[in-house]
Amino acid sequence: MFIKVENLKKSYRTGDVKTDVLKGVKMSLGKGEIGVILGPSGSGKSTLLNIIGGIDRCDSGKVTVDDIEVTNLTDDQLTDYRRENIGFIFQFYNLIPNLTVGENIEVVSNISRSPLDTDEVLKAVGMLDKKYRFPRELSGGEQQRVSIARAVVKNPKLLLCDEPTGALDFSTSREILKLLQQINRDFGTTILMITHNTAISAMANRVYRMRSGEIVEEIINERIIHAERIEW
Amino acid sequence: MVINKKIKRTMMESKSQYLGSLMLIIISCLLYTMFNQLTTNMVNLTSSFEKNYVQEDASFIADKKLDNIEDLESRFNMIIEETRSIDYLVSEDKTLRIFSENTKVNIPAIIEGNKLIGSDILIDPAFAKANKLKIGDSINIYGKDLKIAGFMSLPNYIYPIKSESDILNDPNRFGIAVISKDDFNEINKGSSFYTLKFNGDKKDVDNRIAQFKDYLKSENIIILKWTNIDENPRVTYVTLKIDGINQISTYMPVFILLLTCILTGIVMWRMLKREFILIGTLYALGYKKREIVKHYLTYPLSIALAGGIIGTILGAFTLRPMLNFMVMYFNIPVDYVSFDLKYVVISLLLPIFFLGISGYFVVNRALKYSPVELMKGGKEKGKVSFIERKLKLDRLKFSTKFKVREQLRSIPRSVFLLLGVVFATMLLLLGFASKSSMDFLMKDAYEDTYKYQYQYIFNSLQHGAPSNGEVFSISPFTLKSDSKTGFYVYGISPNSKYILLKDKQGNWLSTDKVIITKPLADKLGVKPHDTIKVVNKLDSKEYSITVDYIAETYTGEYIYMPLVEFNDMLKYPSDSYIGLWSSDKLNISESSLLSITTIDDFKKALDSTMQPLKSSIGIMAFISFIIGLIVIYVVTSLIIEENRESISLLKILGYRRKEVYSLILNSSSFIVLIGYILGVPLLLVSLRAMFKSVTKSMNFAFPVTIEYGYVFIGFVVIYLTYELSKFLSRRKINRISMAEALKASRE
Repeated sequence: MFIKVENLKKSYRTGDVKTDVLKGVKMSLGKGEIGVILGPSGSGKSTLLNIIGGIDRCDSGKVTVDDIEVTNLTDDQLTDYRRENIGFIFQFYNLIPNLTVGENIEVVSNISRSPLDTDEVLKAVGMLDKKYRFPRELSGGEQQRVSIARAVVKNPKLLLCDEPTGALDFSTSREILKLLQQINRDFGTTILMITHNTAISAMANRVYRMRSGEIVEEIINERIIHAERIEW
Repeated sequence: MVINKKIKRTMMESKSQYLGSLMLIIISCLLYTMFNQLTTNMVNLTSSFEKNYVQEDASFIADKKLDNIEDLESRFNMIIEETRSIDYLVSEDKTLRIFSENTKVNIPAIIEGNKLIGSDILIDPAFAKANKLKIGDSINIYGKDLKIAGFMSLPNYIYPIKSESDILNDPNRFGIAVISKDDFNEINKGSSFYTLKFNGDKKDVDNRIAQFKDYLKSENIIILKWTNIDENPRVTYVTLKIDGINQISTYMPVFILLLTCILTGIVMWRMLKREFILIGTLYALGYKKREIVKHYLTYPLSIALAGGIIGTILGAFTLRPMLNFMVMYFNIPVDYVSFDLKYVVISLLLPIFFLGISGYFVVNRALKYSPVELMKGGKEKGKVSFIERKLKLDRLKFSTKFKVREQLRSIPRSVFLLLGVVFATMLLLLGFASKSSMDFLMKDAYEDTYKYQYQYIFNSLQHGAPSNGEVFSISPFTLKSDSKTGFYVYGISPNSKYILLKDKQGNWLSTDKVIITKPLADKLGVKPHDTIKVVNKLDSKEYSITVDYIAETYTGEYIYMPLVEFNDMLKYPSDSYIGLWSSDKLNISESSLLSITTIDDFKKALDSTMQPLKSSIGIMAFISFIIGLIVIYVVTSLIIEENRESISLLKILGYRRKEVYSLILNSSSFIVLIGYILGVPLLLVSLRAMFKSVTKSMNFAFPVTIEYGYVFIGFVVIYLTYELSKFLSRRKINRISMAEALKASRE
């Protein structure tokens, strides 16, 4: 398996109160697959994604991504892990406001070993004509396209998407989902996505339902549909 | 208002910015109070000293003794007193100039100890300190033991320099003393001069002096030397220094306050932007604009008030040590220290005024938005500046693009940094420039121009050829068109061995021509072959002098002409002279001499003056380091604050620590560099303007320059300040967690 999570536990302490966010999560995802994690707020899905992405640490358990044991890495090794392997897409895009679209892509290509051509990636996401615009001059959907371009420019092994359509309207969301599916197909990039939206699970190979820090259901989707046909 | 409870909390959240503003205001008010109270005290002390101890209006040396002093006093409504003086060589390179005690004009002021009784002596405190002399000690003068009765100041020797052409005093090698007239008669050596003070209205002093000179002339009395008090450097240097401090006390604090205004404006605007939604909510809850303005103005005003009070108190504490420092150079009695309430009030109000205005401007700008716009986070969010849009950075490396964009993101922040670095650079290099200029003057004067070792000035005109040395004469003149513009004309030997002058191209100028020094030529606007109309201050007659060449030298404001021509012009005997230059010591009777100066005296004086200058360089370097550190650190922390989400994002994207430091912290490097590069010429221009203005009425030119080595050292200091502030800021970057970007809901 490309991603393998075993008995992952994580808790936060606020004063005397201990909150268990992850209570022994177990999951796996194959290379080149799309996984969707569904669940209500506070179910632990973002924490799980963050630990897989190497931006948070667990209390116990084991996470392996492409044979790298993420939970054993030092801080510096985690930095390199994110740098070389992971692409992030956020709900609110997280573009750097005073850099142009092109420069926002360069933020990542600048530190990648063998990045894709910026213009080609922008063309692929349909944003080449807006290369010199600033994020403030773009719509939400356009900003998310730039965010996707930024994530894929280094050709990552794993694309982690945290509510990528959470701030977008229906038709823009569908465009974004189409784009993600296309990237998955064209580049073979493994994608793990968090969403509240159950309809999105239709385009995933595997669907994980989370509740109170546990994966209560894992579904292998045999009938993957094209993002264009997703409705909600 | 209950919302005021958050003021302290908000300030604590951005401690470094508010603390930076506070520190700048403290420094500004400290300097303002210190300098203004210092100059006020110096002016008051000097003027009461001049008044209470009857400072002369003029002094002169005549070739004959005046026997009818009482008659002259009533005829010209003045007081006049004969003073005797002698330069006593305490050792090879130590001179004590002893005066007979005056009772009518230039009365010695006792600073410590007692008046003269019997065989006592009064000496100046700086000389006493430098030579470890105490009250009660004895000094042997020409075989006579004199007990030090006390320390004193003389109103005509406030700045005790040996020769009028000296610019530096050296208490290690020169001092003044006063003994009773009886003791002086017993010694029976030295020469006499007269000091006079006019009674009544001072407006017409120039005319009254002219009438008095006419009278002396009618009595066949030749004036060998005449010095009006406003031309006596031993007094006017105090004015020069006070003027210099006045200029610093005006510009420096105001400039620091302007920096603070920009900084506070930036910090306030950032805070307001962050609180747009809150302000909109307050509107919605029914708060009035006036109440919101009042709340937000409390931030700058509370800082201004706190900084003003602390700075003013600290400034007041520094007054006494500063006065003590000043009286090391200027020998005036410090009877009392006063605080001018006007400056206390201004020092407290100035920051309130400056920050109040800039704060009001910023708050008012924010409150122009409607409550709905504010609740949406303000209109500004969507704006891209013209420069940001137009700038094409395609060819640059990514890191360079990032840094340029970072600076363009907040122009006021970059301007603040630039001005701060320029200011810190100027302050830092001020001391170095002073030292370089002194070194240059020293080299120009005493290595390149003056080749003599000894200068002897006689107390009467000499005739015939001397057995040794090179003859010269000197006489004071003013411009006919402006009696305030004074300078000296030298009569020197053709092909002088001891005065070497060059033109602009570096060619040697023969001294058989009339040569004007560059500072004087610039001052008078004279070109070669121009004729200037002048008035001799000794005989008040008009003369015309045609200039042949301009000499590129900063030794002073002089005209050199052949001695024969000089004597012919002034109708002196053709073989007469007043002084001798020599490379070796000459055997001349002390009783016939007015003064002996050696080049070594000057060099040593320069060396001893360099010591306090070195400590001032150190102090100025420290202040500039602190200001630089505050400015750069505050700007860096502003950059970090504004980039919290970006920094967090960079970490998520896999940027290593050093890469994040480089992108964020190094973004100001070129502003620091530009600030430094601009600071150097700006300092030189300002110093030149300052010296030009304070030495306007003096026979003195100061070449302002700075050695490249010092420019390099200055750069290293500024760069290290920058590196230190970056180092201190690293922790802030490290503290930003990756979760911040995840939680961010921007754009």
